[in-house]
Amino acid sequence: MTLHGGVRQAFERVLDPADVLSDPVKCRAYECDGLTGYRVCPDLVLLPRDAAQVAAAVRVCHEHKVPFVARGAGTGLSGGALPVADGVVISLARLKRVLEVDPANRRAVVEPGVTNLEITAAAAPHGLYYAPDPSSQQVCTIGGNVAENSGGAHCLKYGFTTNHVLSCEVVLPDGSVVTLGTDTGEQAGPDLRGVFLGSEGTLGITTSITVRLLRTPESVRTLLADFPSVAAAGDVVSDIVAAGIVPAAVEMMDTLAIEAAEEAVHAGYTVGVPAALVVELDGPVEECDAQFEQVKAICEKHGCTRLHIAGSVEERAKIWKGRKAAFAAVGRISPDYFVQDGVVPRTRLAEVLDRIAGMGTDAGLRVANVFHAGDGNLHPLVLYSAAAGETERAERLSGEIAELCVEMGGSLSGEHGIGTDKACSMPKMFSEDDLAVMARVQAAFDPHNLCNPGKVLPTPRLCGERPGKYRAHPLEESGVIERL
Amino acid sequence: MTTTTTLRPTDLAEVRDAVRDTPGRLAVAGAGTAAGWAGELGAVDAVLDLAGLTGVITHNPGDMTVSAHAGTPLRALTEELAEHGQHVSLDAARIADGATLGGLLATADSGPSSLVYGTLRDLVIGVTVVLADGTVARSGGHVIKNVAGYDLAKLLHGSYGTLGVLAEVVLRLHPVPKRTATLVVDAPLARAAELAARVLEGPFEPVALEWTSDGRLLVRIEGTDEALPARVARLQEVLGAGATTPEGDPWTRHAELTRGAPDAAVLRIGARPSLLPALVSELAPDAATAGLGTGVATVSLPPDAVADAHTRVHAAGGTSQLRSRPVGADAPAWGPPPSALAVLRAVKTALDPDGRFGPGRFSPWM
Ligand SMILES: Cc1cc2nc3c(=O)[nH]c(=O)nc-3n(C[C@H](O)[C@H](O)[C@H](O)COP(=O)(O)OP(=O)(O)OC[C@H]3O[C@@H](n4cnc5c(N)ncnc54)[C@H](O)[C@@H]3O)c2cc1C
Repeated sequence: MTLHGGVRQAFERVLDPADVLSDPVKCRAYECDGLTGYRVCPDLVLLPRDAAQVAAAVRVCHEHKVPFVARGAGTGLSGGALPVADGVVISLARLKRVLEVDPANRRAVVEPGVTNLEITAAAAPHGLYYAPDPSSQQVCTIGGNVAENSGGAHCLKYGFTTNHVLSCEVVLPDGSVVTLGTDTGEQAGPDLRGVFLGSEGTLGITTSITVRLLRTPESVRTLLADFPSVAAAGDVVSDIVAAGIVPAAVEMMDTLAIEAAEEAVHAGYTVGVPAALVVELDGPVEECDAQFEQVKAICEKHGCTRLHIAGSVEERAKIWKGRKAAFAAVGRISPDYFVQDGVVPRTRLAEVLDRIAGMGTDAGLRVANVFHAGDGNLHPLVLYSAAAGETERAERLSGEIAELCVEMGGSLSGEHGIGTDKACSMPKMFSEDDLAVMARVQAAFDPHNLCNPGKVLPTPRLCGERPGKYRAHPLEESGVIERL
Repeated sequence: MTTTTTLRPTDLAEVRDAVRDTPGRLAVAGAGTAAGWAGELGAVDAVLDLAGLTGVITHNPGDMTVSAHAGTPLRALTEELAEHGQHVSLDAARIADGATLGGLLATADSGPSSLVYGTLRDLVIGVTVVLADGTVARSGGHVIKNVAGYDLAKLLHGSYGTLGVLAEVVLRLHPVPKRTATLVVDAPLARAAELAARVLEGPFEPVALEWTSDGRLLVRIEGTDEALPARVARLQEVLGAGATTPEGDPWTRHAELTRGAPDAAVLRIGARPSLLPALVSELAPDAATAGLGTGVATVSLPPDAVADAHTRVHAAGGTSQLRSRPVGADAPAWGPPPSALAVLRAVKTALDPDGRFGPGRFSPWM
């Protein structure tokens, strides 16, 4: 415990003392998020009960220059909620009220600790739902979603968290409270809400979020199709896009992922096929029916070996269960695994999967692939055994895969964030100037660097000094951008 | 008065050099279609005219993304993309006047289809900007899904040239709908609002739902050749026998109303959709468009009524900004300052510490 007692007392003055945890055993429950390889035990954990207490706690942090880390459900996969040494964790878990559901204006106002699925549950009686649907939606919080700009299978058609949040009440790092965004898409001045979204908890803590709700689609059609190769499945996705169809979701799984998912949940996938696609369309019934026929024809054209059409809500749920279980299910076919998250231009899917397979072979490790094929967002799962001493090799391979995505003109992360995990890879994707400008914006919000420090942007302490001599940016080499 | 130099860069390097090598205050000009919007531009030493900074840099039809120089008129881009059956899903009236990508982004302009597609902030996936000190910075990238780093493209959206010069813009594209239909029904505002609510409650998925002060409700849907006729018929049942799909472009009048008359001040407002009809009735029932699903309206007012209008909109929890104003008229561009004003100023100071870009645009806020 390095925070002195005076600081603790200051927190105890603004919160119920029972809501200030200092017992290391209790604090240990907050030492990591879903990226469990990184752990730091916080000195104190604060459990405020409302927005005013969050603001009061942050003011104490500001006054005493104590770094703080906001935490939702701790399901983040990039170490975003990793505590910082000599700092406090501010948990939003108790801010769990749905403040308003406004069906006439198709929006809801919720506190940050409300889970993603609870928003839809509150909206459902009005025939409305909240669109972004991360696989973790039963547990992850909307506060975490805002911080990560989380995505989900249906974001292909409907967009990401940033497209569905109208405004956020935010406690800034100095403890002042502001509203970013407005009641509509209309803004007066630069879009600060847009910068806050996806800022991974580094620009402030949101205490209330106004989200857009959509009307539940009239019709939903889902199919599961098997293919003789990943390339064939990839061609199907290309043809769907070329036909001007925007599916609600297009997900792909490879042999290993299918095997794992089947073993775990028996969702009716075909074990042994090289690739399976889940395609879902939604919308007015006439549109859905017309386009579904087109999609089926495209699947057949590319040598689909089995076409299973969900005939009921239950069957659809089963298909999705298989897809959503794939991550965790990999635990059944491997003692340990890393979940990677990278993006490539969709047209390069087959190529990147080939390269990943080759890299896996070279490293002597298996890689299972589950991904959002519609937007090129890969989730390679690197399988390894810690007991067999493969951890370092697996970690290296996983990192190389993310960087390969950048080389292919993509991104280091499509939805899990940079956090602690990839901060040191940021120079692969952005130039020194790009990063310096991001740092300027960050400092405008948080001049004392108290708010989730050490995340997103690389620091010399974390990543070592300047990374070697200048080398051309991958996008530059491929002629997409020019350097001056 | 000092003389104002005009610089006409045609590539990124020239933009950077122009910013770095020209001392003093700078204004950025696109096609000039919104030059008079927002706060009146103060005295500048040079104007950076981006009319020559045009053209597509990369278009990947299979990935549905395009990057282009910021001075490219969206109209021209639309033509280029059309042969691939793709477009930028933005339908601001000014696009027809030649508005540029950078200009549309910097003014946060949007049209009726923002109901479904959002504004340009929802479509931009990357930018390259030149800052006041000549730094060239990128954010985002060339893929639609991407959460690496701060999303600075959003910051430029609505920045009116005060934070940096947009040099390149990367956008996500959508397929051009196979077929589009607009149903038009005569309705005073209150009745239109009722109808709009029923359309939104149903499974119709309108992409635009606008009332115009000539007393008409316009409902646009898009889809396939096979499905659209049946959907039009279903929609007609809700809108009543008077609803028709007229010949010609039913949106022309809407576009005219958003531009406003030359002798009026044009105010753009946003409020919860349920509050919008009352606001529009109070402010300008005879010269307005009202987005009954988006909550965004454009109203034409006498310049001396603008200050009061700002106050009323803000009392309803909304936002407002002045677009055009008659030459020489004095009307406040902005309403009461946002709660985040201190952050806004800090961001401005971080990116443009000497206040070189766009003086006056956000007066009196900063
Ligand atoms: C099995 C599994 C499946 C997943 N699937 C998906 C998926 O499909 N798509 C996807 O995008 N992600 C997915 N994730 C990742 C994760 O669930 C998301 O990133 C989620 O948004 C994190 O929410 P959380 O409440 O757990 O946040 P935490 O992990 O607690 O925190 C995440 C970040 O948010 C910040 N934060 C939390 N609350 C606030 C607040 N109120 N204000 C400001 N900052 C805050 C934290 O500081 C941290 O930086 C998955 C994770 C798991 C474990």
